Amino acid sequence: MPQSQHTGASQRPKNLNLLSVKFPISAIMSVGHRAAGILLFLSLPYFLYLLQLSLTNEIGFALAKAELQGPIAKTFGLIIIWGLAHHLFAGIRYFLLDFDIGIDKAPAQKSALVVMVAAFLVFVFFSFYLLWL
Amino acid sequence: MTYQAKGLQAWLYQRLTGAFMALYILYFLWVIFSTERMSYALWLEWFSHPLMNTATGLFIIHLAVHAWVGMRDIVLDYVSYDALRLMMLACISFFLIIISLGMLRILFSLALII
Repeated sequence: MPQSQHTGASQRPKNLNLLSVKFPISAIMSVGHRAAGILLFLSLPYFLYLLQLSLTNEIGFALAKAELQGPIAKTFGLIIIWGLAHHLFAGIRYFLLDFDIGIDKAPAQKSALVVMVAAFLVFVFFSFYLLWL
Repeated sequence: MTYQAKGLQAWLYQRLTGAFMALYILYFLWVIFSTERMSYALWLEWFSHPLMNTATGLFIIHLAVHAWVGMRDIVLDYVSYDALRLMMLACISFFLIIISLGMLRILFSLALII
């Protein structure tokens, strides 16, 4: 199929064979950033639903609260919490990189690891928090 | 902006909207966790307050722009078939418009109560 001139597709590099590429920690973190972004995007209808339900009336608020206590909501909630934390931390890292803070190779690799670990710790913290709630 | 600077524009939007949303989310979490027992009355009052109502409305618009730039980047990177690419971009924009209009409608209905 011909590539579009309008979307700028022809000027971009072609897809690479993923197996031929090395993945340093910053690349894995970057993939996580994208995956988390897609996850948050897909969870938007649920947030719309919860916002609508919780603001309708007293009963709706109680229903929304009860729904969030359920095991399925907690499981998905935890994944969304991880996604939000990872996306937020990685975003802050990109923001700092844009201002040339930690732009060198070694600190950039280190900060990528910090992002991954911090997001994981948030996930662990909320796992325990929600278990005991 | 010129066509050549379109990427820069998207990059700038992504940073500005991201910064605003980061601040809003941190404030939101702080309110949630500092409130001893969140009740319907408090929840309603919080979203109905003119400042919070406006900030939340802005958040939704920022979210739509941020998600659009991000999802568009992903589709442009991984989907190289023209028809499929166009269809996915259309679906994403439609999805985001519906979601953000739905959220804004709820906020507006709260603003009218006061």
